[in-house]
Amino acid sequence: MRIYLDSRPLQLLPGMVVRHALIRAGLLQEIDSGKKVYDAWGNEVDLDGALEDGMKLWVR
Amino acid sequence: MRGFKISIFFCLIILLTVTGGHAAATSLRILYVNDFHGYAEPLQAPGSGEKVGGMAFLAARVEALRREKPSLLLAAGDMIEGNQWAHLFQGKSVIELMNAMKFDAMVVGNHEFDFGQAVLRKRIAEARFPVLGANVVGLDPLKPYVIKEVSGLRVAVIGVVTPRTPKLTYPDNVAGLQFKGAAATVEKYWPRLRGRADLLVVLSHLGYPADLRLAEKVPAINVIVGGHTHTRLVKPSIVDGVIIVQAWAHARALGVLDLTVDAGKIVKADGRLEDIKPIPGQEDPGVQKIVEKYRLEEDAVLGETVGEAAVDLDGEHVRARETNLGDLVADIVREKTGTEIALINGGAIRAGIPKGPITLKEVYEALPFNNYLVAFKLGGADLKAALEHGVSAVEKHAGRFPQVSGLSFAYSPGAPAGSRVRDVQVGGRALEPDGKYTVATLDFLAAGGDGYRIFGTAAPPGAGGRGAAGKMGPDKVVYNAPGQRLRDVVIDYLKAHGKVAPETQGRIRAVK
Repeated sequence: MRIYLDSRPLQLLPGMVVRHALIRAGLLQEIDSGKKVYDAWGNEVDLDGALEDGMKLWVR
Repeated sequence: MRGFKISIFFCLIILLTVTGGHAAATSLRILYVNDFHGYAEPLQAPGSGEKVGGMAFLAARVEALRREKPSLLLAAGDMIEGNQWAHLFQGKSVIELMNAMKFDAMVVGNHEFDFGQAVLRKRIAEARFPVLGANVVGLDPLKPYVIKEVSGLRVAVIGVVTPRTPKLTYPDNVAGLQFKGAAATVEKYWPRLRGRADLLVVLSHLGYPADLRLAEKVPAINVIVGGHTHTRLVKPSIVDGVIIVQAWAHARALGVLDLTVDAGKIVKADGRLEDIKPIPGQEDPGVQKIVEKYRLEEDAVLGETVGEAAVDLDGEHVRARETNLGDLVADIVREKTGTEIALINGGAIRAGIPKGPITLKEVYEALPFNNYLVAFKLGGADLKAALEHGVSAVEKHAGRFPQVSGLSFAYSPGAPAGSRVRDVQVGGRALEPDGKYTVATLDFLAAGGDGYRIFGTAAPPGAGGRGAAGKMGPDKVVYNAPGQRLRDVVIDYLKAHGKVAPETQGRIRAVK
Protein backbone atom coordinates (compact mmCIF):
# COMPACT_ATOMS: atom_id res chain seq x y z
CA MET A 1 0.00 0.00 0.00
CA ARG A 2 1.07 3.56 -0.58
CA ILE A 3 0.61 6.13 2.15
CA TYR A 4 1.85 9.70 2.45
CA LEU A 5 3.84 10.99 5.38
CA ASP A 6 4.38 14.73 5.30
CA SER A 7 3.37 14.53 1.63
CA ARG A 8 6.10 11.99 0.93
CA PRO A 9 4.83 8.75 -0.65
CA LEU A 10 5.86 5.58 1.12
CA GLN A 11 5.36 1.97 0.03
CA LEU A 12 4.44 -0.31 2.90
CA LEU A 13 3.16 -3.86 3.25
CA PRO A 14 -0.38 -4.70 4.30
CA GLY A 15 -0.53 -4.85 8.07
CA MET A 16 2.17 -2.28 8.62
CA VAL A 17 1.22 0.49 11.01
CA VAL A 18 2.09 4.12 11.67
CA ARG A 19 5.32 3.08 13.36
CA HIS A 20 6.52 1.35 10.16
CA ALA A 21 5.80 4.49 8.16
CA LEU A 22 7.90 6.51 10.57
CA ILE A 23 10.72 3.98 10.34
CA ARG A 24 10.56 4.05 6.55
CA ALA A 25 10.68 7.85 6.55
CA GLY A 26 13.41 7.95 9.19
CA LEU A 27 11.17 9.98 11.50
CA LEU A 28 10.70 7.65 14.45
CA GLN A 29 13.17 9.62 16.55
CA GLU A 30 10.98 12.70 16.07
CA ILE A 31 8.36 11.01 18.22
CA ASP A 32 10.90 10.35 20.95
CA SER A 33 11.57 14.07 21.00
CA GLY A 34 7.89 14.84 21.57
CA LYS A 35 6.37 15.23 18.12
CA LYS A 36 3.09 13.49 17.30
CA VAL A 37 1.46 11.98 14.23
CA TYR A 38 -1.80 13.36 12.85
CA ASP A 39 -4.18 12.15 10.17
CA ALA A 40 -5.58 14.19 7.28
CA TRP A 41 -8.37 15.48 9.52
CA GLY A 42 -6.01 16.70 12.23
CA ASN A 43 -6.64 13.85 14.66
CA GLU A 44 -3.70 12.43 16.56
CA VAL A 45 -3.04 8.76 15.79
CA ASP A 46 -1.16 6.23 17.86
CA LEU A 47 2.03 4.61 16.55
CA ASP A 48 0.34 1.21 16.38
CA GLY A 49 -2.62 2.59 14.44
CA ALA A 50 -3.62 0.76 11.28
CA LEU A 51 -2.97 2.30 7.87
CA GLU A 52 -4.89 2.07 4.64
CA ASP A 53 -3.97 2.75 1.07
CA GLY A 54 -3.81 6.45 0.26
CA MET A 55 -3.80 7.58 3.88
CA LYS A 56 -2.15 10.92 4.61
CA LEU A 57 -0.26 11.49 7.83
CA TRP A 58 1.65 14.41 9.25
CA VAL A 59 4.34 14.66 11.89
CA ARG A 60 4.41 17.86 13.90
CA MET B 1 -61.73 -9.04 34.90
CA ARG B 2 -62.65 -6.76 32.05
CA GLY B 3 -61.79 -3.71 34.21
CA PHE B 4 -58.37 -5.24 34.97
CA LYS B 5 -57.69 -5.68 31.26
CA ILE B 6 -58.68 -2.08 30.60
CA SER B 7 -56.38 -0.90 33.38
CA ILE B 8 -53.47 -2.79 31.83
CA PHE B 9 -54.37 -1.29 28.44
CA PHE B 10 -54.22 2.25 29.81
CA CYS B 11 -51.00 1.53 31.68
CA LEU B 12 -49.46 0.34 28.42
CA ILE B 13 -50.58 3.49 26.64
CA ILE B 14 -48.96 5.62 29.32
CA LEU B 15 -45.80 3.50 29.22
CA LEU B 16 -45.54 3.75 25.45
CA THR B 17 -46.09 7.47 25.63
CA VAL B 18 -43.30 7.88 28.13
CA THR B 19 -40.83 5.37 26.73
CA GLY B 20 -41.60 3.27 23.66
CA GLY B 21 -43.30 6.13 21.87
CA HIS B 22 -40.55 8.50 23.03
CA ALA B 23 -42.83 11.48 23.48
CA ALA B 24 -40.42 12.41 26.26
CA ALA B 25 -36.73 12.86 25.57
CA THR B 26 -34.52 10.00 26.73
CA SER B 27 -30.88 10.18 27.75
CA LEU B 28 -28.36 7.58 26.69
CA ARG B 29 -24.66 7.60 27.45
CA ILE B 30 -22.35 5.49 25.32
CA LEU B 31 -18.98 4.75 26.92
CA TYR B 32 -16.42 3.23 24.60
CA VAL B 33 -12.88 1.99 24.23
CA ASN B 34 -11.00 0.44 21.33
CA ASP B 35 -7.66 -1.21 20.61
CA PHE B 36 -6.92 -1.93 24.25
CA HIS B 37 -4.35 -4.57 23.22
CA GLY B 38 -4.03 -5.80 26.77
CA TYR B 39 -2.43 -2.65 28.18
CA ALA B 40 -3.94 -3.27 31.59
CA GLU B 41 -1.29 -1.35 33.47
CA PRO B 42 -0.35 2.29 32.97
CA LEU B 43 2.21 2.82 30.24
CA GLN B 44 4.69 5.52 29.43
CA ALA B 45 3.44 7.89 26.76
CA PRO B 46 5.78 8.08 23.73
CA GLY B 47 7.91 11.19 23.82
CA SER B 48 7.31 11.88 27.51
CA GLY B 49 8.06 10.37 30.88
CA GLU B 50 4.42 10.61 31.87
CA LYS B 51 2.49 7.48 32.80
CA VAL B 52 -0.94 7.25 31.22
CA GLY B 53 -3.80 4.77 31.04
CA GLY B 54 -4.38 1.74 33.19
CA MET B 55 -7.60 -0.26 32.92
CA ALA B 56 -8.36 -0.12 36.65
CA PHE B 57 -8.36 3.69 36.44
CA LEU B 58 -10.48 3.64 33.31
CA ALA B 59 -12.90 1.22 35.00
CA ALA B 60 -13.33 3.62 37.91
CA ARG B 61 -14.30 6.38 35.49
CA VAL B 62 -16.74 4.03 33.78
CA GLU B 63 -18.46 3.34 37.08
CA ALA B 64 -18.64 7.03 38.00
CA LEU B 65 -20.10 7.93 34.61
CA ARG B 66 -22.57 5.06 34.74
CA ARG B 67 -23.93 6.40 38.01
CA GLU B 68 -24.78 9.67 36.28
CA LYS B 69 -26.78 8.33 33.34
CA PRO B 70 -28.09 5.11 31.83
CA SER B 71 -25.15 3.83 29.83
CA LEU B 72 -23.80 1.28 27.41
CA LEU B 73 -20.14 0.22 27.54
CA LEU B 74 -18.79 -0.86 24.16
CA ALA B 75 -15.44 -2.11 22.87
CA ALA B 76 -14.50 -1.59 19.23
CA GLY B 77 -12.07 -4.47 18.78
CA ASP B 78 -8.42 -5.49 19.20
CA MET B 79 -8.86 -6.05 22.89
CA ILE B 80 -7.32 -9.46 23.68
CA GLU B 81 -3.97 -9.47 21.84
CA GLY B 82 -0.91 -7.30 22.24
CA ASN B 83 0.77 -6.53 25.51
CA GLN B 84 2.42 -9.35 27.46
CA TRP B 85 -0.30 -9.11 30.14
CA ALA B 86 -2.77 -10.29 27.52
CA HIS B 87 -0.54 -12.23 25.16
CA LEU B 88 0.80 -14.72 27.71
CA PHE B 89 -2.75 -15.78 28.52
CA GLN B 90 -4.01 -15.63 24.94
CA GLY B 91 -6.47 -12.95 25.95
CA LYS B 92 -8.13 -14.82 28.84
CA SER B 93 -7.00 -12.10 31.24
CA VAL B 94 -8.67 -9.44 29.10
CA ILE B 95 -12.01 -11.23 28.94
CA GLU B 96 -12.00 -11.65 32.72
CA LEU B 97 -11.34 -7.95 33.08
CA MET B 98 -14.07 -7.03 30.59
CA ASN B 99 -16.54 -9.29 32.38
CA ALA B 100 -15.78 -7.52 35.64
CA MET B 101 -16.34 -4.17 33.96
CA LYS B 102 -19.69 -5.39 32.59
CA PHE B 103 -19.12 -4.55 28.97
CA ASP B 104 -22.33 -4.61 26.95
CA ALA B 105 -20.75 -5.70 23.66
CA MET B 106 -17.54 -5.83 21.68
CA VAL B 107 -16.73 -6.36 18.04
CA VAL B 108 -13.84 -8.57 16.98
CA GLY B 109 -10.85 -6.75 15.60
CA ASN B 110 -8.36 -8.26 13.20
CA HIS B 111 -6.02 -9.06 16.09
CA GLU B 112 -8.69 -11.11 17.85
CA PHE B 113 -7.89 -13.77 15.24
CA ASP B 114 -4.16 -13.84 15.97
CA PHE B 115 -4.35 -16.76 18.41
CA GLY B 116 -6.36 -18.85 15.94
CA GLN B 117 -10.03 -19.72 15.80
CA ALA B 118 -9.97 -22.35 18.56
CA VAL B 119 -8.66 -19.83 21.07
CA LEU B 120 -11.05 -17.15 19.86
CA ARG B 121 -13.97 -19.54 20.37
CA LYS B 122 -12.81 -20.12 23.95
CA ARG B 123 -12.57 -16.39 24.61
CA ILE B 124 -16.05 -15.81 23.17
CA ALA B 125 -17.42 -18.60 25.36
CA GLU B 126 -15.87 -16.97 28.44
CA ALA B 127 -17.28 -13.54 27.65
CA ARG B 128 -20.42 -12.56 29.53
CA PHE B 129 -21.23 -10.07 26.79
CA PRO B 130 -21.93 -10.62 23.10
CA VAL B 131 -18.94 -10.65 20.79
CA LEU B 132 -20.04 -9.28 17.43
CA GLY B 133 -18.90 -9.81 13.86
CA ALA B 134 -21.79 -9.40 11.44
CA ASN B 135 -19.57 -9.45 8.36
CA VAL B 136 -17.65 -12.57 9.39
CA VAL B 137 -19.06 -15.71 7.80
CA GLY B 138 -18.11 -19.10 9.23
CA LEU B 139 -17.52 -18.42 12.92
CA ASP B 140 -20.83 -19.20 14.59
CA PRO B 141 -20.12 -17.93 18.11
CA LEU B 142 -19.89 -14.42 16.71
CA LYS B 143 -23.21 -12.62 16.85
CA PRO B 144 -24.12 -10.19 14.09
CA TYR B 145 -25.86 -7.78 16.43
CA VAL B 146 -27.37 -7.27 19.82
CA ILE B 147 -30.30 -5.13 20.88
CA LYS B 148 -29.83 -3.46 24.24
CA GLU B 149 -32.60 -1.66 26.03
CA VAL B 150 -31.57 1.34 28.07
CA SER B 151 -34.24 3.45 29.80
CA GLY B 152 -36.78 2.09 27.38
CA LEU B 153 -34.66 2.99 24.39
CA ARG B 154 -33.92 0.05 22.15
CA VAL B 155 -30.40 0.27 20.77
CA ALA B 156 -29.33 -2.09 17.99
CA VAL B 157 -25.57 -2.62 17.93
CA ILE B 158 -24.16 -4.24 14.78
CA GLY B 159 -20.49 -5.23 14.78
CA VAL B 160 -18.25 -5.11 11.71
CA VAL B 161 -14.52 -5.79 11.35
CA THR B 162 -12.22 -4.77 8.56
CA PRO B 163 -12.70 -7.00 5.49
CA ARG B 164 -8.91 -6.80 5.12
CA THR B 165 -8.49 -9.07 8.15
CA PRO B 166 -7.19 -12.01 6.03
CA LYS B 167 -4.30 -9.77 4.97
CA LEU B 168 -3.58 -8.79 8.55
CA THR B 169 -3.15 -12.13 10.29
CA TYR B 170 -1.64 -15.54 9.59
CA PRO B 171 -3.76 -17.38 6.96
CA ASP B 172 -4.46 -20.40 9.18
CA ASN B 173 -6.13 -18.08 11.67
CA VAL B 174 -8.91 -17.21 9.25
CA ALA B 175 -9.09 -20.46 7.25
CA GLY B 176 -12.65 -21.12 6.14
CA LEU B 177 -13.88 -17.66 7.08
CA GLN B 178 -15.21 -14.96 4.81
CA PHE B 179 -15.14 -11.25 5.56
CA LYS B 180 -17.91 -9.32 3.82
CA GLY B 181 -18.10 -5.61 3.09
CA ALA B 182 -19.20 -3.48 6.02
CA ALA B 183 -21.77 -1.27 4.29
CA ALA B 184 -23.52 -4.18 2.59
CA THR B 185 -23.60 -6.05 5.89
CA VAL B 186 -25.18 -3.17 7.81
CA GLU B 187 -27.69 -2.64 4.99
CA LYS B 188 -28.51 -6.34 5.14
CA TYR B 189 -29.26 -6.39 8.86
CA TRP B 190 -30.86 -2.99 9.40
CA PRO B 191 -34.21 -3.83 7.71
CA ARG B 192 -34.52 -6.79 10.10
CA LEU B 193 -33.85 -4.57 13.09
CA ARG B 194 -35.68 -1.39 12.13
CA GLY B 195 -38.97 -2.41 13.73
CA ARG B 196 -37.26 -3.63 16.88
CA ALA B 197 -34.84 -0.81 17.57
CA ASP B 198 -34.94 2.95 18.03
CA LEU B 199 -31.26 3.59 17.35
CA LEU B 200 -28.64 1.94 15.17
CA VAL B 201 -25.09 1.86 16.50
CA VAL B 202 -22.35 0.28 14.43
CA LEU B 203 -19.48 -1.05 16.47
CA SER B 204 -16.73 -0.86 13.91
CA HIS B 205 -13.19 -2.13 13.63
CA LEU B 206 -12.73 -0.64 10.18
CA GLY B 207 -10.58 2.42 10.86
CA TYR B 208 -11.50 6.08 10.86
CA PRO B 209 -11.33 6.73 7.08
CA ALA B 210 -13.50 3.65 6.46
CA ASP B 211 -15.95 4.81 9.14
CA LEU B 212 -16.32 8.11 7.28
CA ARG B 213 -17.10 6.23 4.07
CA LEU B 214 -19.53 3.92 5.87
CA ALA B 215 -21.41 6.93 7.24
CA GLU B 216 -21.77 8.35 3.73
CA LYS B 217 -23.02 5.04 2.35
CA VAL B 218 -25.45 4.09 5.11
CA PRO B 219 -27.24 7.17 6.48
CA ALA B 220 -29.57 4.96 8.54
CA ILE B 221 -26.73 4.58 11.04
CA ASN B 222 -27.01 6.86 14.06
CA VAL B 223 -23.62 6.29 15.66
CA ILE B 224 -20.38 4.59 14.61
CA VAL B 225 -18.12 3.60 17.51
CA GLY B 226 -14.84 2.90 15.77
CA GLY B 227 -11.37 1.47 16.22
CA HIS B 228 -8.40 0.04 14.26
CA THR B 229 -6.63 3.31 13.37
CA HIS B 230 -6.06 4.23 17.05
CA THR B 231 -7.48 7.66 16.32
CA ARG B 232 -7.71 10.18 19.12
CA LEU B 233 -11.04 11.67 18.13
CA VAL B 234 -11.42 14.27 20.86
CA LYS B 235 -14.83 15.34 19.56
CA PRO B 236 -17.29 13.29 17.53
CA SER B 237 -17.26 13.72 13.76
CA ILE B 238 -20.61 14.03 12.05
CA VAL B 239 -21.06 12.89 8.44
CA ASP B 240 -24.51 13.16 6.89
CA GLY B 241 -25.99 13.12 10.37
CA VAL B 242 -24.03 10.03 11.43
CA ILE B 243 -22.00 10.50 14.62
CA ILE B 244 -18.54 8.91 14.50
CA VAL B 245 -16.37 8.39 17.58
CA GLN B 246 -13.12 6.63 18.43
CA ALA B 247 -11.08 6.62 21.64
CA TRP B 248 -7.37 6.38 20.77
CA ALA B 249 -5.90 3.13 22.12
CA HIS B 250 -4.31 1.18 24.98
CA ALA B 251 -6.83 2.42 27.57
CA ARG B 252 -5.27 5.86 27.40
CA ALA B 253 -8.70 7.43 26.95
CA LEU B 254 -12.33 6.65 27.63
CA GLY B 255 -14.89 7.86 25.13
CA VAL B 256 -18.08 9.44 26.41
CA LEU B 257 -21.01 10.17 24.10
CA ASP B 258 -24.15 11.63 25.64
CA LEU B 259 -27.24 11.41 23.47
CA THR B 260 -30.67 12.86 23.95
CA VAL B 261 -33.27 10.99 21.94
CA ASP B 262 -36.73 12.30 21.25
CA ALA B 263 -39.34 10.60 19.09
CA GLY B 264 -36.73 8.16 17.84
CA LYS B 265 -34.34 10.89 16.78
CA ILE B 266 -31.13 12.11 18.32
CA VAL B 267 -31.83 15.72 19.20
CA LYS B 268 -28.63 16.37 21.09
CA ALA B 269 -25.18 14.77 21.09
CA ASP B 270 -22.26 15.75 23.28
CA GLY B 271 -19.06 13.76 23.05
CA ARG B 272 -15.63 13.88 24.58
CA LEU B 273 -12.57 11.82 25.38
CA GLU B 274 -11.45 11.57 28.95
CA ASP B 275 -7.70 11.01 29.19
CA ILE B 276 -6.99 8.33 31.77
CA LYS B 277 -4.40 9.27 34.35
CA PRO B 278 -3.22 6.65 36.83
CA ILE B 279 -3.63 8.64 40.02
CA PRO B 280 -3.06 6.31 42.99
CA GLY B 281 -6.22 5.72 44.97
CA GLN B 282 -8.51 6.38 42.03
CA GLU B 283 -8.48 2.87 40.58
CA ASP B 284 -11.36 0.41 40.66
CA PRO B 285 -10.27 -2.10 43.33
CA GLY B 286 -12.02 -5.07 41.74
CA VAL B 287 -10.45 -4.52 38.34
CA GLN B 288 -7.09 -3.75 39.93
CA LYS B 289 -7.20 -7.15 41.63
CA ILE B 290 -7.59 -8.83 38.24
CA VAL B 291 -4.74 -6.78 36.79
CA GLU B 292 -2.48 -7.76 39.68
CA LYS B 293 -3.58 -11.39 39.67
CA TYR B 294 -2.46 -11.89 36.09
CA ARG B 295 0.68 -9.85 36.63
CA LEU B 296 1.66 -12.32 39.33
CA GLU B 297 0.71 -15.24 37.10
CA GLU B 298 3.01 -13.90 34.39
CA ASP B 299 6.01 -15.07 36.40
CA ALA B 300 4.63 -18.59 36.63
CA VAL B 301 3.86 -18.72 32.93
CA LEU B 302 7.24 -17.28 32.01
CA GLY B 303 8.89 -19.99 34.08
CA GLU B 304 7.53 -22.67 31.75
CA THR B 305 10.23 -24.76 30.09
CA VAL B 306 9.83 -24.72 26.31
CA GLY B 307 12.99 -26.54 25.27
CA GLU B 308 16.57 -27.28 26.15
CA ALA B 309 19.88 -25.85 25.02
CA ALA B 310 22.68 -28.40 24.82
CA VAL B 311 25.15 -25.49 24.61
CA ASP B 312 25.22 -21.85 25.66
CA LEU B 313 23.34 -19.75 23.11
CA ASP B 314 25.36 -16.61 22.41
CA GLY B 315 23.26 -13.47 22.35
CA GLU B 316 26.09 -11.22 23.46
CA HIS B 317 28.12 -10.99 20.25
CA VAL B 318 25.27 -10.83 17.74
CA ARG B 319 26.27 -7.29 16.71
CA ALA B 320 29.84 -8.28 15.87
CA ARG B 321 29.93 -11.80 14.49
CA GLU B 322 27.96 -14.87 13.62
CA THR B 323 26.71 -16.57 16.77
CA ASN B 324 24.98 -19.87 17.33
CA LEU B 325 21.86 -18.11 18.64
CA GLY B 326 21.84 -15.83 15.60
CA ASP B 327 22.12 -18.90 13.37
CA LEU B 328 19.35 -20.69 15.23
CA VAL B 329 16.90 -17.78 15.00
CA ALA B 330 17.73 -17.12 11.35
CA ASP B 331 17.32 -20.82 10.56
CA ILE B 332 13.92 -20.86 12.24
CA VAL B 333 12.86 -17.79 10.26
CA ARG B 334 13.97 -19.38 7.00
CA GLU B 335 12.26 -22.67 7.79
CA LYS B 336 9.01 -20.98 8.77
CA THR B 337 8.85 -18.81 5.67
CA GLY B 338 10.16 -21.44 3.27
CA THR B 339 12.63 -19.03 1.73
CA GLU B 340 16.15 -19.51 0.39
CA ILE B 341 17.65 -16.98 2.75
CA ALA B 342 16.92 -15.37 6.10
CA LEU B 343 18.56 -12.21 7.31
CA ILE B 344 17.78 -10.63 10.65
CA ASN B 345 19.50 -7.83 12.49
CA GLY B 346 21.68 -8.74 15.45
CA GLY B 347 19.96 -5.96 17.35
CA ALA B 348 16.77 -8.03 17.38
CA ILE B 349 18.49 -10.40 19.81
CA ARG B 350 18.98 -8.82 23.22
CA ALA B 351 20.23 -11.63 25.47
CA GLY B 352 21.79 -15.05 25.38
CA ILE B 353 20.35 -18.26 26.77
CA PRO B 354 22.54 -20.44 28.98
CA LYS B 355 22.95 -24.17 28.49
CA GLY B 356 20.14 -26.14 30.10
CA PRO B 357 16.36 -25.91 30.14
CA ILE B 358 15.04 -22.91 28.17
CA THR B 359 12.24 -21.01 29.84
CA LEU B 360 9.69 -18.79 28.19
CA LYS B 361 11.16 -15.87 30.10
CA GLU B 362 14.58 -16.46 28.53
CA VAL B 363 13.07 -16.41 25.05
CA TYR B 364 11.21 -13.20 25.87
CA GLU B 365 14.42 -11.63 27.13
CA ALA B 366 16.38 -12.79 24.08
CA LEU B 367 13.68 -11.58 21.67
CA PRO B 368 11.87 -8.73 23.45
CA PHE B 369 10.48 -6.99 20.38
CA ASN B 370 7.14 -7.69 18.74
CA ASN B 371 8.72 -8.37 15.36
CA TYR B 372 6.90 -10.46 12.78
CA LEU B 373 8.10 -12.25 9.66
CA VAL B 374 8.16 -10.85 6.16
CA ALA B 375 9.71 -12.35 3.03
CA PHE B 376 10.17 -11.10 -0.49
CA LYS B 377 12.13 -11.64 -3.67
CA LEU B 378 15.32 -9.66 -3.84
CA GLY B 379 17.86 -9.27 -6.62
CA GLY B 380 21.35 -10.62 -6.04
CA ALA B 381 22.93 -7.17 -6.24
CA ASP B 382 20.44 -5.82 -3.72
CA LEU B 383 21.13 -8.73 -1.41
CA LYS B 384 24.85 -7.97 -1.53
CA ALA B 385 24.06 -4.32 -0.83
CA ALA B 386 22.05 -5.38 2.21
CA LEU B 387 25.00 -7.41 3.47
CA GLU B 388 27.32 -4.45 2.87
CA HIS B 389 25.01 -2.33 4.97
CA GLY B 390 24.87 -5.00 7.64
CA VAL B 391 28.64 -5.00 8.18
CA SER B 392 29.18 -1.29 7.52
CA ALA B 393 29.33 -0.37 11.20
CA VAL B 394 30.59 -3.58 12.75
CA GLU B 395 33.35 -1.64 14.52
CA LYS B 396 30.60 0.23 16.41
CA HIS B 397 28.74 -2.98 17.18
CA ALA B 398 25.68 -1.53 15.50
CA GLY B 399 22.43 -3.49 15.68
CA ARG B 400 22.34 -3.74 11.89
CA PHE B 401 24.96 -6.53 11.92
CA PRO B 402 23.30 -9.47 10.17
CA GLN B 403 22.62 -12.97 11.38
CA VAL B 404 21.90 -15.14 8.37
CA SER B 405 20.65 -18.50 7.17
CA GLY B 406 20.96 -20.02 3.72
CA LEU B 407 23.99 -17.97 2.75
CA SER B 408 27.58 -17.36 3.73
CA PHE B 409 29.94 -14.50 3.04
CA ALA B 410 33.24 -12.97 4.03
CA TYR B 411 33.90 -9.35 4.83
CA SER B 412 36.90 -7.19 5.50
CA PRO B 413 36.34 -4.94 8.52
CA GLY B 414 39.29 -2.78 7.48
CA ALA B 415 37.91 -2.00 4.03
CA PRO B 416 35.76 1.11 3.48
CA ALA B 417 32.12 0.70 4.42
CA GLY B 418 30.21 -0.36 1.31
CA SER B 419 33.15 -2.35 -0.08
CA ARG B 420 33.68 -4.96 2.58
CA VAL B 421 31.67 -7.96 1.43
CA ARG B 422 33.04 -10.72 -0.77
CA ASP B 423 32.52 -14.37 -1.64
CA VAL B 424 28.77 -14.47 -1.08
CA GLN B 425 27.45 -18.01 -1.43
CA VAL B 426 23.78 -18.92 -1.52
CA GLY B 427 23.01 -22.59 -1.07
CA GLY B 428 26.65 -23.36 -1.80
CA ARG B 429 26.74 -21.43 -5.08
CA ALA B 430 28.17 -18.00 -5.80
CA LEU B 431 25.66 -15.19 -5.57
CA GLU B 432 24.43 -14.09 -8.98
CA PRO B 433 24.03 -10.30 -9.08
CA ASP B 434 21.23 -10.64 -11.61
CA GLY B 435 19.59 -13.58 -9.86
CA LYS B 436 16.44 -13.42 -7.74
CA TYR B 437 16.35 -14.83 -4.24
CA THR B 438 13.60 -15.24 -1.68
CA VAL B 439 14.69 -13.51 1.50
CA ALA B 440 12.95 -13.62 4.87
CA THR B 441 13.45 -10.92 7.42
CA LEU B 442 11.62 -8.99 10.14
CA ASP B 443 8.98 -6.32 9.61
CA PHE B 444 11.30 -3.79 11.24
CA LEU B 445 13.95 -4.32 8.57
CA ALA B 446 11.37 -4.65 5.79
CA ALA B 447 10.23 -1.15 6.70
CA GLY B 448 13.81 0.05 6.33
CA GLY B 449 14.73 -0.08 10.02
CA ASP B 450 18.38 -0.12 11.13
CA GLY B 451 19.10 1.59 7.84
CA TYR B 452 18.11 -1.36 5.63
CA ARG B 453 16.66 0.95 3.02
CA ILE B 454 17.32 -1.60 0.32
CA PHE B 455 14.53 -3.73 1.81
CA GLY B 456 12.26 -0.74 1.70
CA THR B 457 12.25 -0.93 -2.06
CA ALA B 458 11.28 -4.60 -2.09
CA ALA B 459 7.55 -4.05 -1.64
CA PRO B 460 5.80 -2.99 -4.85
CA PRO B 461 2.43 -1.25 -4.99
CA GLY B 462 -0.38 -3.67 -4.23
CA ALA B 463 1.95 -6.25 -2.75
CA GLY B 464 0.22 -9.12 -1.03
CA GLY B 465 2.15 -12.28 -0.21
CA ARG B 466 1.38 -15.84 0.83
CA GLY B 467 1.30 -15.07 4.52
CA ALA B 468 -0.92 -12.09 3.94
CA ALA B 469 -3.42 -13.13 1.37
CA GLY B 470 -3.21 -16.89 1.18
CA LYS B 471 -1.51 -16.76 -2.22
CA MET B 472 1.65 -15.58 -3.83
CA GLY B 473 1.82 -11.86 -4.26
CA PRO B 474 1.80 -10.37 -7.72
CA ASP B 475 5.44 -9.50 -7.62
CA LYS B 476 8.01 -9.61 -4.85
CA VAL B 477 6.37 -10.27 -1.50
CA VAL B 478 6.10 -13.96 -0.68
CA TYR B 479 5.30 -13.96 3.04
CA ASN B 480 3.74 -11.37 5.30
CA ALA B 481 2.15 -12.40 8.58
CA PRO B 482 1.44 -9.51 10.93
CA GLY B 483 0.28 -10.91 14.24
CA GLN B 484 2.63 -13.89 14.03
CA ARG B 485 5.53 -12.83 16.16
CA LEU B 486 9.09 -14.02 15.72
CA ARG B 487 9.20 -14.87 19.42
CA ASP B 488 6.19 -17.17 19.16
CA VAL B 489 7.60 -18.84 16.06
CA VAL B 490 10.83 -19.55 17.98
CA ILE B 491 8.89 -20.86 20.98
CA ASP B 492 6.87 -23.18 18.74
CA TYR B 493 10.10 -24.45 17.18
CA LEU B 494 11.69 -25.12 20.56
CA LYS B 495 8.60 -26.93 21.80
CA ALA B 496 8.57 -29.08 18.69
CA HIS B 497 12.29 -29.89 18.69
CA GLY B 498 12.99 -30.22 22.42
CA LYS B 499 16.78 -29.97 22.53
CA VAL B 500 18.80 -27.64 20.31
CA ALA B 501 22.58 -27.60 19.90
CA PRO B 502 23.43 -25.00 17.25
CA GLU B 503 27.05 -24.38 16.33
CA THR B 504 28.40 -21.56 14.23
CA GLN B 505 29.14 -22.71 10.71
CA GLY B 506 31.34 -20.06 9.18
CA ARG B 507 28.43 -18.25 7.58
CA ILE B 508 30.01 -14.86 8.31
CA ARG B 509 33.79 -14.69 8.17
CA ALA B 510 35.90 -11.65 8.99
CA VAL B 511 38.99 -11.55 6.75
CA LYS B 512 41.77 -9.08 6.15
